This record gives sequence, structure tokens and C-alpha cells, in this order.
Amino acid sequence: MSGTDDKEVGGKGAGGNAFVPSRRTVLVLGAAAASTVVTVRPALAQTAGSVLNCEIPVPGPHAGGNHIAADGNLVAPGTPGAAPPLARPLRGEEARQLLRGSTPPGVNPQSAQAYANYIRRLQSGMSGFTCYASLQMPR
Amino acid sequence: MAGPRYIADPEETVRSVELDGLSVLFHEPSGMTHIVAAPAPEILEMLRAGPADAAELLRRLRARFEFEGNEAEAAIHARLDELEAAGLVRRA
Repeated sequence: MSGTDDKEVGGKGAGGNAFVPSRRTVLVLGAAAASTVVTVRPALAQTAGSVLNCEIPVPGPHAGGNHIAADGNLVAPGTPGAAPPLARPLRGEEARQLLRGSTPPGVNPQSAQAYANYIRRLQSGMSGFTCYASLQMPR
Repeated sequence: MAGPRYIADPEETVRSVELDGLSVLFHEPSGMTHIVAAPAPEILEMLRAGPADAAELLRRLRARFEFEGNEAEAAIHARLDELEAAGLVRRA
């Protein structure tokens, strides 16, 4: 692709004697066949779409039936203060809301912090980890 | 016969980041991201002053820049075609 460059063009100053250089930029319009625009959006759009639609079960199938303590750890059902499992997996966008401190529709606000902390504790190999990792990637 | 006239979206609808000679443009109306080199940013800036055909665009550019090479007219048509294909300019 092409570029711009600075080029000095001389000129006389108002007094007539002093040489006052001015800078005028050379603009390279490029060859007709050479492209100067590359669109990168389509691949990113696909990524963004999959991030918004990926799912995070809370908790994952490995911990079916367990409840979630406020710090995100799995605990036995009936543990005081623990949040029950979510009836359905969170979509990526819902998980993003939780991680930002808001409560997506259908989620008990009192349990939101526990779910958010569970998501933050996800590790590689756990169900939903890839989705969570995708949420951390800048878009 | 005058050719088609082109126009670009206002500056506030296109986020621009310069990267070592290239510019990354995020065109908010379309949600598209483009990596562009000169003279694309300069063309967009000139078209934000109002609709212009290729000849008028060249006049505006010449008011500020010197051109390298002698194929300005063919090149400006090519640049406009690719900017239009990218959705960064449209026909007025």
C-alpha cells in the first residue's frame, strides 16, 4: 500500500530575502490495481456472534446438583447463603452482564454475585471455559 | 459528462486509529472495520466537505497535496471504487 511523504518546497518570505521553507505533503494515490483498503470485519463479526451466543452452564455438568457459594465455589445443596444451579446455561452476553455487575433477566439478583464468581473461577477443561475466555478477548 | 458524485459519512461516525502509516477505521453505521492506507483517509476527509465527483475530489486534494506519478485520474477512480465497495463512501 502507499503512503504520504513530506517534501520541502522553498519560497520567499514576506521580506523577500529570507528563505522560508514550507512543507507540502506528497500524496501517493497508488496504482490503479493496488488496493489500499482491507476490510477485516467479517471474521470479527463471526467471532463476536459466537461469543454472544456461546453458553456457560452454572454449574457445569461435572457438578450437577451442587449449589454455588458467594465466592463461586461449589458447595452441597442446603449450604446457607448458597445459590441454586441455574435452570439453563447462561448465554455469553448474559455472562458478560453478570461479570460487569448487572443481573440478566431470569437470574435472581441475590445469586448474581455467586454465579459471576463461579464463572471467574472457570478453568481450562471445564464446561463454559472457552466461552468465558472468549468474553475476555477484546473486540 | 460528469461522473458519479460521492460522499462520506461524518467523522464522528468513523473511529480512526493511526498505526504506523496505516489507519484502522471502525465504521459505526455498518459495524465494519477496515485497515486503510493513504490516500484513503485523505479522500474521506475531502468528501466530508461535501459531495464530489472524481474531478472535484482531485481538485480538493491538489489544494493540499502534491501528487506523485501521472496517473492521478485513473488512481482516484480506483480508490473511490474500493472505498465504495468497502462502504466507506457512497454515491451522493
